[in-house]
Amino acid sequence: MLCTDAFTCHWPLTTGRSLAAGFITPGFAIAGLLLAGIPILIHILNRRRYKTVQWAAMEFLLRAMRKNRRRLKFEQWILLATRCLVLLLAGIALARPLGCRDSAIASMAGTRSGLHVIVIDNSYSTAYEGDRTNARTHLDRGKQLAKELIDTFQAGGEAVAIITASRPAASVLSPATYDLQAARGGVDRVQQAYGSTDLLGALRAAQAIANAEKTLGQRRLYLITDGTRSAWETPDAAAIKQLGPELARQYRVAHFHLGKAGQWNQVALDVKPAGNLVSTRLNNDLTARLHSFGQGPDALLQWKLDDSVLPGGGQVRFGAEPVTLAQPGASFRAGGAHVVSAGLVTQDRLKIDDTRHRVLDVASEMKVLIVEGERGMSKLGGSGAFLELALAPPREATAEGGAKTDSYVAPEVVSDLELGNKVLTDYRAVILAGVAQLTAAQADQLALFVKQGGGLITFMGEPVVGDSYNQVLLPRGLVPGPLTKRVSAAADQNGFLFDFKPHGSLHPLLGLFSAQEKTGLDTAQIFTYWQIDLKPDAKVERVLDYLPTGATATGGAGAAGAGGGSGNANASAPRDPAIVLHTLGQGHVITFTTTANAEWTSFPAKPSYVALMHELLAGSIGAGDRWMNLTAGEPLMVPRNLKLTGSPTLFDPQQKEIVLEPLPAGGPGAYRSGPLVRPGVYRLSTGASSSLPIAVNVPPEEADVRTLDNNAVKRALGDVDVEFHADTLPPAAAEVNRAGTDFGWPFMLAVLLFVAGESFMAMRFGHYRRTSG
Amino acid sequence: MNNEQTNYRKYLDPRTLARIGSLDLRARLIVEGLMTGMHRSPYQGASVEFAQHRPYVPGDDIRRVDWKVLGKSDRVFLKQYIEETNLHLICVVDASESMGYGTVEPARAADPGLAGDLKGAVSSVLAPQSSAGTWTKFDHATAIAASLAYMAIQQQDSVGLAVFDRELKKYLKPSNSPAQWKTLTQELTVVPRTAKTGTGHVLDQLAEKLTHRSLVVILSDFFDDMAGIQQGLRHLRYKKHELMVFQVLDPMEVEFPFDDVTLFQGLEGLGDLLTEPRALREGYLEQLNGFTEELKKMCRGMHIDFTRMNSGESLDVALSNFLATRAATMK
Repeated sequence: MLCTDAFTCHWPLTTGRSLAAGFITPGFAIAGLLLAGIPILIHILNRRRYKTVQWAAMEFLLRAMRKNRRRLKFEQWILLATRCLVLLLAGIALARPLGCRDSAIASMAGTRSGLHVIVIDNSYSTAYEGDRTNARTHLDRGKQLAKELIDTFQAGGEAVAIITASRPAASVLSPATYDLQAARGGVDRVQQAYGSTDLLGALRAAQAIANAEKTLGQRRLYLITDGTRSAWETPDAAAIKQLGPELARQYRVAHFHLGKAGQWNQVALDVKPAGNLVSTRLNNDLTARLHSFGQGPDALLQWKLDDSVLPGGGQVRFGAEPVTLAQPGASFRAGGAHVVSAGLVTQDRLKIDDTRHRVLDVASEMKVLIVEGERGMSKLGGSGAFLELALAPPREATAEGGAKTDSYVAPEVVSDLELGNKVLTDYRAVILAGVAQLTAAQADQLALFVKQGGGLITFMGEPVVGDSYNQVLLPRGLVPGPLTKRVSAAADQNGFLFDFKPHGSLHPLLGLFSAQEKTGLDTAQIFTYWQIDLKPDAKVERVLDYLPTGATATGGAGAAGAGGGSGNANASAPRDPAIVLHTLGQGHVITFTTTANAEWTSFPAKPSYVALMHELLAGSIGAGDRWMNLTAGEPLMVPRNLKLTGSPTLFDPQQKEIVLEPLPAGGPGAYRSGPLVRPGVYRLSTGASSSLPIAVNVPPEEADVRTLDNNAVKRALGDVDVEFHADTLPPAAAEVNRAGTDFGWPFMLAVLLFVAGESFMAMRFGHYRRTSG
Repeated sequence: MNNEQTNYRKYLDPRTLARIGSLDLRARLIVEGLMTGMHRSPYQGASVEFAQHRPYVPGDDIRRVDWKVLGKSDRVFLKQYIEETNLHLICVVDASESMGYGTVEPARAADPGLAGDLKGAVSSVLAPQSSAGTWTKFDHATAIAASLAYMAIQQQDSVGLAVFDRELKKYLKPSNSPAQWKTLTQELTVVPRTAKTGTGHVLDQLAEKLTHRSLVVILSDFFDDMAGIQQGLRHLRYKKHELMVFQVLDPMEVEFPFDDVTLFQGLEGLGDLLTEPRALREGYLEQLNGFTEELKKMCRGMHIDFTRMNSGESLDVALSNFLATRAATMK
């Protein structure tokens, strides 16, 4: 009986697996078993091969034989058995048998052989304070657990690899090390991360280690996680479920659950302005999305602007769904980057996600270049003039004089012939108003401008040459699709209408007009427009469509066949896009398929015209502050259009300098940092006296600290066999590690002893057989 | 002269003798080889030797009166002599199947001086080298017997022969006739060796046949029942015979130098044994030497000269022992 403890027994019950699991290389054991028959075979053959002699002194030989019969028989059999055993044990030794700690022969074992891979979840949810006496956070306990596990391993025979599961998963010790002290040091080096959980990456790393360490027979995988939904119920869940069975074939899997039942966490999920544009000239609404994962008491919300407390906070009552609270009418005295923070004053045990920062690029003056395509037009005759007026309406004349307009937009109208002379990086957006065509160089310049975060709005007009757009602008991504034809309403018919319904589902750019009556969007007539062929798989957003003749409006963005009243014959007819938004690099491109003036449409006369133009402009430049708002783990990419008066320098929230590496020309940015792992507000020095805030927030998807039970974890791993443990190492679990005892060397020692014994016995012993007489 | 001595000494080597087909020639060469270099020739023989004078008493044989002493001193003395006796040598040769065992190979190299040494003997007495058999224990025993007989007859002693296996197969009464030696060698040459040994019974028979006190030389391997042997020897000793026992063994039997697995086919119907000889060597030698020691001890108890002979070794040991024993017997 090799084992006395069913839990620690290494030998599985099934015969088929017992050989594979009992030996690291079972083939040698089989070979040894077969080779053990060779001495018997030789013995049989030797009995058939002998020489014959006549012998006179037979009586003395027979007397000697009779006297020594038993001894000779014993010697013969023990010699034969020894020879068989030598081969058998040699095969077993080479097969490297594994045994149990409780077995009788286990005490002979000098070394064990095995691979232990420890996955430690150090995502930011493991910063949850677990109310333990000797470990403040779940991660602290997880590290203790890992070291306790390592203490049960045997130096020299068992290899340890450590993987951290915070995104991106990383191997702390790779390849696996036999130096257990180094393994403990590796555990100590595991730091609290602030990213989400990347269990899939960690499991794939474990799989790669198992593939690389095929000679280590007994393999174990220890998953030390907080068992939260944010760890297991992720977009990677399907891939993890698929990977689980593969891992179970390579490892015996054990899960240590650090989480506590009833965990709850209150989090600021998001902070953002209500509109796309934040300006010093406007009262800007800010919103904070808050949520409580698990049952917790009410909390207080506190707003801050550049470390100054803003009014508007208050008590937050959480429900099943996230709540959104607004900070109405926030005003900014100066343009530039400002940090808005929404912080929760709460009693939860995970503080790192209670406050969320947002850097807003507040505009005090937005320079916009309007390229007029129609030449020789009278005042207010061209689209450019209409747009200039709409974006920067003149202020009423006052006695004091002053600015001509109160608008934050500073438009500049130029002819298409002057476009090549302009430095586009001086502008936040470029508007093409009925431009006939662009040269390839102009198109390249424009594409680069957009890719670096600039905005482009294109209006059609009489001069527009569709083929040129398709050949020059389309390949560069400056139009969402090919311009197929110009569609005009018959002279005796009314113009086309926008597919706009105030109470319908509207694109965010039209959110301003939601539930607003008499905006004119639903009554404006369009007599001519360019039809654009949008591929079904094109990554574009249809902001507004044209309403087919005879159909009723369904909403702002009209996907074909979407909505429509019943009995409407044309409800499912395809709709041509009127306004299309798509992304190019870090910037946006908005295409308006009719004119900006009254040449093809009556829309400029509608009340919503000015507002829509502003919204489109804001929508086109909305990504300008994206690079200043990062998630923990992302690098900072300083854009090329950022004005720098010296080499930029980045400081973390503790004012430690972070190295920025310059990027080669033509790249996505000018400078790049390493991953910014610690959340908080960083400062990017752009010159002698100026700096920009950089907000780094924890990923909101990691905030759900509600724990899963063991069955859910088992299902998440594809219903494989998993040993489940709490946050302590049970004595039985410690025993598990003893099961991988490698008896290869003891068996080899036995082989040597038997060889020595066989040599001695072969010198003294022989064979005999009396055939007659 | 020196070269000649060396040449004759080589005929004491069984491997050389094995190449000589004729037994009488073997014996002559052996004796020549043995006697070469001795100071006193054995051919002087034993004559009637004077012992002492004693006064005459009535009834004494007047033929023994020393007339010279009477003439000088006028006193009658008788001359007394040591009794004049002829030695009766009986060679008893074991011709059982076990005596046919032999492993001593004849000398390989042709000896160019061998034919010359024979002083006119025909070359046919030399066995062709290709057909020369191994030197058996029986060959060794007969060579000794013939040599002893030759020496005895040369000294006017009578020689008899007894050849036996389980029975007394042949018996020649002692005679000092020169023709006796020829007859004796002829008998030793033709005797068959197929039966088991019955030493004790044969010695009993022989003891009854010998009417004259004799020197009995027994040549055998004595692979027989020890009690029977003892009984036979005791019977001979009871009859006042002098006994010399030569146990003739083959080198293989003495050394048992086998290594590989061997099937031993026993002679005299003792069956077969397949064995690893190395495992049995120690036990076998223990048994053999124990038997020899017991035989030797038994002979010593009966004042019998015992000599164990190796058929691979020189014959001079046996012959020297014989001469020493004969000398002691004649005193």
